[in-house]
This record gives sequence, C-alpha cells and structure tokens, in this order.
Amino acid sequence: MKARMLATHVALPVLVIAAVSGQAGAADFDWMKFKGKTVTFLANNNPVSQALLTYKADFEKLTGMTLKVDGYQEQQMRQRLVTVMNANSDEVDVFMTLPSREGEQFAAAGWYADLTAMAKDEVAKEYDPAGLSQALLKAATFGGKLTSMPMNLEGPIFYYRTDIFRKCGLDAPKTIKDVEAAAEKIKTCDSAVTPFVSRGLKPAVAYTFSNMLHNIGGTYMAGGKSKLCSAKGKEALDTYSRLLRDFGPPGVVNYSFQQISALYRSGRAAMAFESSNELRTVMEGGARLKDPGLLPFPAGAAGQVPTTIGWGMAVSSHSKQPGAAWYFVQWATSPEVQKKMALQGIAPPRPSVANDPEYRKWIEEEPVRKEWQAALDVLATKGSSEVGYPIVANPQSREFIGQAVQDLILKQKTVDQACADADKALDALIALN
Amino acid sequence: MSDTAATLTQDRQKLEMAALSAPAVIFTVAMIAFPVVYTIWLGFQNFSSTGKQSFAGLANYSKLVSDYEFWHGLWVTIALYVLSLVLQLVFGVWLALVLFHAKRLPGIVRSLFISPFMMPPVVAGMMWLVILDPSLGAANYILQSFGLPPSDWLASPSLVIPTVALIDSWQWTPYVALIVLGGLQSLPPSVYEAAQIDGASPFRTFRRITLPLLLPTIVTAAILRSVDLLRFFDIIYITTQGGPGNASNTLNIYGFRVGFEFFNIGYASALMLTLTAIVFGAVLAFNRLRGAVAW
Repeated sequence: MKARMLATHVALPVLVIAAVSGQAGAADFDWMKFKGKTVTFLANNNPVSQALLTYKADFEKLTGMTLKVDGYQEQQMRQRLVTVMNANSDEVDVFMTLPSREGEQFAAAGWYADLTAMAKDEVAKEYDPAGLSQALLKAATFGGKLTSMPMNLEGPIFYYRTDIFRKCGLDAPKTIKDVEAAAEKIKTCDSAVTPFVSRGLKPAVAYTFSNMLHNIGGTYMAGGKSKLCSAKGKEALDTYSRLLRDFGPPGVVNYSFQQISALYRSGRAAMAFESSNELRTVMEGGARLKDPGLLPFPAGAAGQVPTTIGWGMAVSSHSKQPGAAWYFVQWATSPEVQKKMALQGIAPPRPSVANDPEYRKWIEEEPVRKEWQAALDVLATKGSSEVGYPIVANPQSREFIGQAVQDLILKQKTVDQACADADKALDALIALN
Repeated sequence: MSDTAATLTQDRQKLEMAALSAPAVIFTVAMIAFPVVYTIWLGFQNFSSTGKQSFAGLANYSKLVSDYEFWHGLWVTIALYVLSLVLQLVFGVWLALVLFHAKRLPGIVRSLFISPFMMPPVVAGMMWLVILDPSLGAANYILQSFGLPPSDWLASPSLVIPTVALIDSWQWTPYVALIVLGGLQSLPPSVYEAAQIDGASPFRTFRRITLPLLLPTIVTAAILRSVDLLRFFDIIYITTQGGPGNASNTLNIYGFRVGFEFFNIGYASALMLTLTAIVFGAVLAFNRLRGAVAW
C-alpha cells in the first residue's frame, strides 16, 4: 500500500508531524511537574519493553513519579487492554500498541488519546520529536490524530548460515528464486538441517508473508476487493507455502518466532525469515555468531519491499492523568533512552541514534551487528507497514491469510481454492468496514 | 416466657441470621449472578469492530445456526470431550486399582503418580509443546531411536485432537484416579469376603462387584471432568491456538478469539452461553445417571 510506504529519512509533508516538530513548551518544561503521581504502564513483555524497563528507576528519579508496570505476553496484554477499555476504566494510563495491526481499530474505537497537542506543547528541549522516524509517526496517525510515539523499528529479516552456504557452494541469495534454489541444494547437500523456516502459525503468518507478497508485486486490496487471487497474490501464496512445505521443518504450521529462533539458534536450520528483534535470541549462546548472514528478504519482481513496523506507546483515552502519562511516553521515546535501548539491540526509530558514534561503535564490535544494521537501514528506507489488510478488522484479516497459507502447506486445497476461499471471506470482512 | 416474647425472640434470631448471611449472599450474587446476567445482556448486543454497540435482538443466536466455525467448534469440542473423558475414566480406574492394591508403594511414588494434575495447565502445555516439537522434541527422538517414523503430533490436522486428548489425559487421569481411589477405600469388605467364599475370580469380582459399586464414584468423576473438558482452553491455547487450520478450534477457543481478538463481544457472549448450556446439559445428564446407578 503506497500510502503506508515508509521512507524514514525523507521528510513527509504531514500536518500533524509538522505540528509535532514545534517545541512551544520547551522553555518552561519541568520533568517534576507531576511529582508524586503514579503512572500505570500496560506492557507487552517483549525485548523492547524489557530493554526500556531496565531504566525504570531513572524515570522515577527524573520525574518523582512512580511507574507501575502491568506486563503480559502480547496476546494477554491485548486481552487485558480490551477488558479495561471496554469498561471505560482508567486503570491503564499508557499502553504498548502496534499501529500496523490494531491502529485503525483502536483509533476508530476511540481508545487512543490524541497526542498531537502534547507532543507540540509539552516537550523537553532535548526531546527532538522531529528526530523520530517521520514515517513511523505517520503510520501512527489516524484521522489527523497522532496516537502513539514509536519505540523501535523492526521487521522480518533473512538469517542464513554462511558456513552451510559455503559448504554447499552457494552465494548469498539475491532473489526469491535464489532462496528456493538454495533450499533445494541444501536439502541434498546437508540433509541434517532444515533448509528454510518461516512463520506457519495461522495468526502469525501475515507478518512474514506480507514481505513476500510485496516483493513479488502483489497487494492485499484493490478497489475495495481482496486480491489474493490476483496472479501476484497466487504466486506469493504458492511460493511462501511451497518453501515451507518442501523445505520447512515438520510441524511448521505451529511455528512462530519462538520455534523459529530456537531451531535456527540450535543450528538446525540453514535459512530463517524472522523478526529483526530476534537477533539477541538467535545469537544467544554464541553458536550463531560464527556464521552470521543477515539480509533484508531477497527481491522479487517488485524488488525489495520489506515489512517495517514498530511498537508505539499510546496514552489511554480513559486515563485521568494524560499529562503525567505523556511525560512517561516522552521519557521512553527520548533520544537518550532510545540510545540506551539501541545498545541493547533494540533498533532505534531515530536516525540520529542510528548514527550516534557510541551506537556505531557498538555496531562495529560484531560483524553480525553490522549486517543487522545494514538490513535495518533497508527496512527504514524501503519498508511498507502493511501487514494484513488495511482495514479496521486487520487482526481478523490475518486469520484468513494464515488459513490460506496453512491450507496450502497441508495440501488441503489447491492455490485457486485457497485464495478463492480467502478472498470470499475477506471481501465479506472488507464490506463490514 | 410468653408466646409473644417467644415470637419476638424467633423474629430477632431470623433477623440476625439474615444479617449474618447477607454478606455471603451479596458476594455470591455479585460474583456469579451479575456476570451471568451481564453476559446474557451482551449476547443481545451487536459490537462492531470498533466497539460500537447496538441492540441485536436474537441476531447473534441466529448467526450461530449458519456459522460453519460454530458447528466445527462444537464438533471439535465434543470429539475432544468424548475421547479425553473415556481415556481418563478408563486409565483413572486402572490407576486407582493399582494404587489401591499396591499397599507397599512408598508415599513418594504415590505422590509422583498423582502429581501431574497439580501442575498448572499452562506449564503442562509448554512442557508438552517442547516434547512434541517435531524437529527438536524428545517424542520423535524416542520414536526414531526405535526405528519408528517421526510424527507431526500437534501439527497434523488428523493427529492434533488425539494428541491434545492425550496431553489432557496425562494431566487429569491421576485426578480421576484419586476420586476413584476414595471410592474403592469406602467399599464394604463384606461383599468381597462373600465373593471370595463363593470362589469368584479376580476379574469376575471386579466386573460384578467392584465396577457396579464404583459407578456412582465414576459418574461423579465424569461430572467433574465434563465441566472442565467441555470448556477446553488452556492446553490448546498454549500448544496450537486452535490449529493447524482450525483442526483444534474448540468452542471456547473460538469464543475467545471472537471476543478478544476480533472485538465482537456480543457474538462471543452468545457462543459462550451456548457452551454453558451444553455444559449444564451434560452435568444434568450425568446427574440423572448418578441417580440411576446409586446404591
């Protein structure tokens, strides 16, 4: 979806973002303004929040506020959020959100506080809102309202074992066809490893499949209709499912990031297509530091259109203390904190942090970090935040994409049947929006 | 004491009793009746994807009739229920008999036998997810060590229901065994002495005496397990999330997704009330059976 194409380093003429760039309140800004208040943060217990909360005490010292953390795994966090927001409760002041997934839905439901004015009037001198990825800010803007501030930048990247590629006489893949050819060769050259692994679990498929679809030149929707049965859509479905069916691990239909990282880290997979956030997990133990190969997903007919998203921090529209909540959001997305998080392997959503000498030094320490940053640079400049259908019911649309892919992996349907069934269900879903 | 004074004392006692029990009654109403009434009300509401609400009448219930996922979820729920219940009752009775007759079994071994049901289902699910991983898990490693072909376990649409039923049975069979063991220990020894005098074989004794006398206990265990099994959720949520495809998508999992992932709280409430009616139906049927087999 062109409207959502990211171009992090290119200024985007968006009114909201222009408004954010102003710092009217910087002069009389006081971090201690809300001293004594308690802010409740509903966090997804992922590497991003874990890195952030390492510095919880710094926030409390700086502001005199108490930060109460309510942390859950991703799905449980959403479950809690749905309950709290449906009850119009003020229990949660700040929550983590994925604008690419639930942004339209939460915005339409009125769950996000509008941060536009606060981001303009209530900012510390050092905050530098203009330094945040303008594209991620745009992706978090719905109906002219800024709904969250970006915490990180991430997307699926291609991990491959350079030692296995060398052993099998293979070069780093440049195209999707190269990936398939490499998988075929590895299957015979080193039968002990799984040639290729990516997400097969139904609700998780869209994250990686979207990259494949966009690289091939497909789109989810055109003219208000689902387009999985377009030639490009069918090609993407066929290629993605074939790679997993013919070269993936047994049981790949239950694979999400945990299983993929475990398989690749243990040395049992030659190629893995998984989140850039998983770098730390994949490299745990150090075995994979010896053979690192990281790339954006290889090109298709449309070149490289990586999936690029980021977690955001939103203030609940039911919060009784949006000002204090905003102070926490501001601190968490400040250049200083994002630099500290970057040094823990959380890709910064600020180009200034990505170019910071200390961060660059950290990157240069390990070859794998250099490859990781190079891949992230491509994600930042060429990425698309379209994961699943750009409709309010985006989470539900991902189910149908995942179902079509699983039907093909399990050989329960032909490509024509799988895409037709998915398009039918998705058209009905689109019509409801 | 005059009649009037006695009546006054009785009235006062009644008032005191009402006052003392009021907190418990209020608590029960607040914690049980209110959520049920609220869910019934939600079942008549329509929620859009954005949370906007409107009165739907019986639309959510009429939607159930034509919803393929509902009927599929019902089938999966019943298949899992029947398979798991049969496994747990058969092996539960067997385990109870083993524990009953193995009087010299050390306490630690007995504790180990019954320990799985003390484990949180989420932990059990995670543990079996690792064991049954087709690539890295111990189950396939063991199969292959014996020259047997590996299995996809939770990733195969045809195997996922038996596999989940086995996981649940691994966890809850000891619970059934514990109930049945209690029943065994309360059986009158006189009937066994009479059977012994009559020269009945151990199998005949079991079939003609133990089993009929145990039936009320077994039915009680079946009722307790039925309530849990028809609401099958945690192990599936941890291991398959209803997949592969929708092969293990029970009504409870389906309702959870509709409510908490797709935000259609009204339809999810209708689904859950239908499931509640099924659970009540099963419990009532077993209660009647218990009445029929009581001795």
